[in-house]
Amino acid sequence: MSPRIYIPTMLGAPLFQILFFTYLGRYAGSQDDAFFIVGNAIQVAAMSGIYGMTMGIANERQYGTLQPLLATPANRFAIFSGRALPYVANGLAVSAFGFAVSWLLLDFRPAEGSVPALALAVLVTTCSCVSLGMLIGSIGLRARDVFFGANLVYFLMLLVCGVNVASDDLPGWLAAIGSGLPLTHGIEAAREIVSGSALGDVAGLLWTEALIGVLYATAAYVLFRVFESEGRRRASLETY
Amino acid sequence: MPPVVEAIDLHRTYRTTTGTFRRRSLEVEAVRGVSFAIEEGELFGLLGPNGAGKTTTIKMLITLLIPTAGQALVLGHDVVDDAHWVRERIGYVFGGDRGLYERLSALDNLRYFAELYGVEPRRQRARIGELLELVGLESREKERVEGYSRGMRQRLHIARGLLHDPPVLFLDEPTIGVDPVGARELRQTIFGLKAAGKTVLLTTHYMFEADALCDRIAVVTRGKIVAEGTPRDLKARVSDGVVVEIEVYGIENGKVESLRAIDGVTSVAVEDRDQAQVVVVQAEAGREPTHDVLARLDGVSLGRVTTREPTLEDAYVALVTEEPVAVDG
Repeated sequence: MSPRIYIPTMLGAPLFQILFFTYLGRYAGSQDDAFFIVGNAIQVAAMSGIYGMTMGIANERQYGTLQPLLATPANRFAIFSGRALPYVANGLAVSAFGFAVSWLLLDFRPAEGSVPALALAVLVTTCSCVSLGMLIGSIGLRARDVFFGANLVYFLMLLVCGVNVASDDLPGWLAAIGSGLPLTHGIEAAREIVSGSALGDVAGLLWTEALIGVLYATAAYVLFRVFESEGRRRASLETY
Repeated sequence: MPPVVEAIDLHRTYRTTTGTFRRRSLEVEAVRGVSFAIEEGELFGLLGPNGAGKTTTIKMLITLLIPTAGQALVLGHDVVDDAHWVRERIGYVFGGDRGLYERLSALDNLRYFAELYGVEPRRQRARIGELLELVGLESREKERVEGYSRGMRQRLHIARGLLHDPPVLFLDEPTIGVDPVGARELRQTIFGLKAAGKTVLLTTHYMFEADALCDRIAVVTRGKIVAEGTPRDLKARVSDGVVVEIEVYGIENGKVESLRAIDGVTSVAVEDRDQAQVVVVQAEAGREPTHDVLARLDGVSLGRVTTREPTLEDAYVALVTEEPVAVDG
């Protein structure tokens, strides 16, 4: 991605999202600044994870690189998981940028010594979001217009994952959906970390977040192999 | 010695659906019993028009499609049962603009695929350098592919297919859409592959290309091989016939069909040329079909009428426009 696209997309949009929801939160007075800053600074990492990973897999088909890729003897899991690394790294960078500008512009001050644990929480959450992106991308190997699905999931997560509305304040069914998605437990753990909890206190939340990521990644990989096999059988690798 | 590539009565059927509310399932037989064998070091051509089944055949041989029936073997291994083994030993090059990572340089495209093909890291750099030189991209390897011409992309496709130095290569219309100079360079590269001892299966719909490059050719049309042999064999099929070309201005299908019924006519094809059409009628040696042809075109606005000896292209046109005939070779 060229800088002129990367800067507004990956840095500009997250910055204004954080500012928007933090000022909106101040106006509404429902939560303190840290609630919105942590929620949104981690949620913006999901953008890289979900859209990036969806594009990373689904575009193989659009650009005609899927067949050359599948004609190689390479281990499919290595192809698949290798795709995730740049998006995880990018998600971490975007989230770090979000926290940095919050420190500069919104007077965000996490508890002393909490940054390493916060970084771990962001890493785990970004990985699980990338896993969800993998799943949507795998669906894109078969379905047309998968980005509509990515948009839907992205905004659903903004609503139900406790980014700007605490899960306790959501109707039960929406909270239940949120508890099965990446982000929810990671954000909760990160909030506790910045308010002074030790890593051990939030280990359960982070393990849950990681487990959700593993489940989505597994589903994504299985789907990828199923579509590869189906593509060879039904000649659907290049058709929708 | 067993053949390097062997297709045994290959079939491939596609199922498609039509309609939105009343969906109907259709079965299309893309390949209907294709059989051939390619010996070690041979450059074998699959020649046929668009939609003849060439690409489908090649996709079955490179493990991307499972045959509906029949069997395909590469180096003695079944392409369905031993797909991974086969993939390690074949290279695949296809024509067209797509199939490359546009935002990466040629060098990065090759590095990535070198990883996927398991080229040893210490060997990668030298191998990529050799291939860039082979295909003439060594001075532009750091440019993004999105700025490449079609010919350059095609050469990059070839370099990618050779990364792991496979003994068998499948080239699917590698010169399609490439300008004449670029296509000539590509043909030289392909000829060099044969000289290097590779076994090559080339698909093309250019008769002259198959003639210039291939040791043997199989002509495919409507999913079947209608002729197989050396280029010389195929030329011999029509060397003693006659061709009549009639310029017409608007001709109905019924009239064209009536020409096919003339005794001694072996094929009839209609080509568009500017405002007019040219009806090309081939007849057996010793026949003079002009009189009968003109009689059946009564009422059609006619232009120039010429008679000439048949060319290799006429042989090809005859093969792909007529019903299957006896197989040579």
